[in-house]
Amino acid sequence: MRLELGNIFIKNVKFGESTKIEDSILHINKEELLAAVGGDEHIKSIDVELAHPGEEIRITPVKDVIEPRVKVEGPGGIFPGMLSKVDTVGTGRTHALKNIAVVTAGKIVGFQEGIIDMTGPGAEYTPFSKLHNIVVVAEPADGIKQHEHEAAVRTIGLKAAQFLGEFAKNIEPDEVKYYETEPLLESVAKYPDLPKVGYVYMLQTQGLLHDTYVYGVDAKKIVPTLLYPTETMDGAIVSGNCVSACDKNPTYVHQNNSIIEDLYEKHGKEINFVGVIITNENVYLADKERSSNWTAKLTRYLGLDGVIVSQEGFGNPDTDLIMNCKKIENEGIKTVIVTDEYAGRDGASQSLADADAKADAVVTNGNANEVIVLPPMKKIIGSTEYVDVIAGGFDGSLRTDGSIEVEIQAITGATNETGFVKLSSKGY
Amino acid sequence: MVKEIERAGIPVVHICTVVPISLTVGANRIVPAVAIPHPLGNPALEPKDEKALRRKLVEKCLKALTIEVEGQTVFED
Repeated sequence: MRLELGNIFIKNVKFGESTKIEDSILHINKEELLAAVGGDEHIKSIDVELAHPGEEIRITPVKDVIEPRVKVEGPGGIFPGMLSKVDTVGTGRTHALKNIAVVTAGKIVGFQEGIIDMTGPGAEYTPFSKLHNIVVVAEPADGIKQHEHEAAVRTIGLKAAQFLGEFAKNIEPDEVKYYETEPLLESVAKYPDLPKVGYVYMLQTQGLLHDTYVYGVDAKKIVPTLLYPTETMDGAIVSGNCVSACDKNPTYVHQNNSIIEDLYEKHGKEINFVGVIITNENVYLADKERSSNWTAKLTRYLGLDGVIVSQEGFGNPDTDLIMNCKKIENEGIKTVIVTDEYAGRDGASQSLADADAKADAVVTNGNANEVIVLPPMKKIIGSTEYVDVIAGGFDGSLRTDGSIEVEIQAITGATNETGFVKLSSKGY
Repeated sequence: MVKEIERAGIPVVHICTVVPISLTVGANRIVPAVAIPHPLGNPALEPKDEKALRRKLVEKCLKALTIEVEGQTVFED
């Protein structure tokens, strides 16, 4: 499976008379965008605002971040099973609008939504402060249920990204990248001397608004299975997560998974990156056992020499992570886990809820309990009224001057467990 | 809490969905619970069936308290 990814670097986003891309500037006709995303009976009102890097803007509560993309050649469309038909994606050509994102905000759905500051110390913790954000603020109709609210806002975000992506279809990309994964036997024959490496991609599926969708399937209902890595680049995996902002994978991260990017970088040179195994993080112990058994089974079946496992979220998924690690190691396959830590504000507590001696190669993306003070911002998109109750916030987080004292847990993407972050860790 | 109460000389049963975590933290008597969002019940069942499930769980725990253990023990069905 081979995908050409054409990157179009956008320098600025402005509202204008018509929606178009001209001289690397995205012009958006607000009415056109609202017409494309509107119409859901569960939503009372939708507005769109822009937030540029460096502006004194705070966006909260953030639900999802999505990169506009469009399928130019090859089967299927963006977000298969969600917006497009369920054709298998990941071949042909796709265009991506870089440096911009659709961000969904508006009244809180659950209690685990995030903050994106476009400037100041908070901006340093979120990779999304560097993007021109098209913020869709959707307010729910009265009396709707939480899961209807979540589904409605999720779909509005995806539609906005799809709508904007369409305008990239006929633009000549600034850069074209090629990603190719051959069928397993061909790949092994092609690179007989390279170690075979796979990626175990754990998806948050705890239910109760903590869900992820694969080709439209609620991933808590899957057993571990295989994807070509390029399928993720066409939006095969979509976030439906109201989980702690710092270490959930927004849809943007699924589209731009940096572990996949980095493995491709070394593919055919240092390693043979043979594919992705997706698995879930369910709330029944039998599911955790079954999924980790199947993950280990698949790694052995593929004849892997090494595996990278990334986690999403924290707490009981730490057990899924450790089970995956232990069972894959027991197959004689070298395993590295990628996670983050909840080690208390002083960093002195146990970092993960579960542990095993086999987890002897760990990459951490930071301690989510670290406290930060976010200075007041001139403009708030959404509302700061929920700051005291989001995960990472506490009674008194929002101060009278508009500044916020929170754990970095509340910052979208701060300790993302695919390494899509600025924080790193160092051994002493 | 499990360990501190036991330190005071009172046996404890830890009802826990994620048994491996209970094993990691060092509980001696572990009874597996139903699921993380509803450890002691199951909203998918009819009220009558759920009550039976809950009663069975409590009885299992009480029985576990009466059993001498040597080291960490998980009381499966």
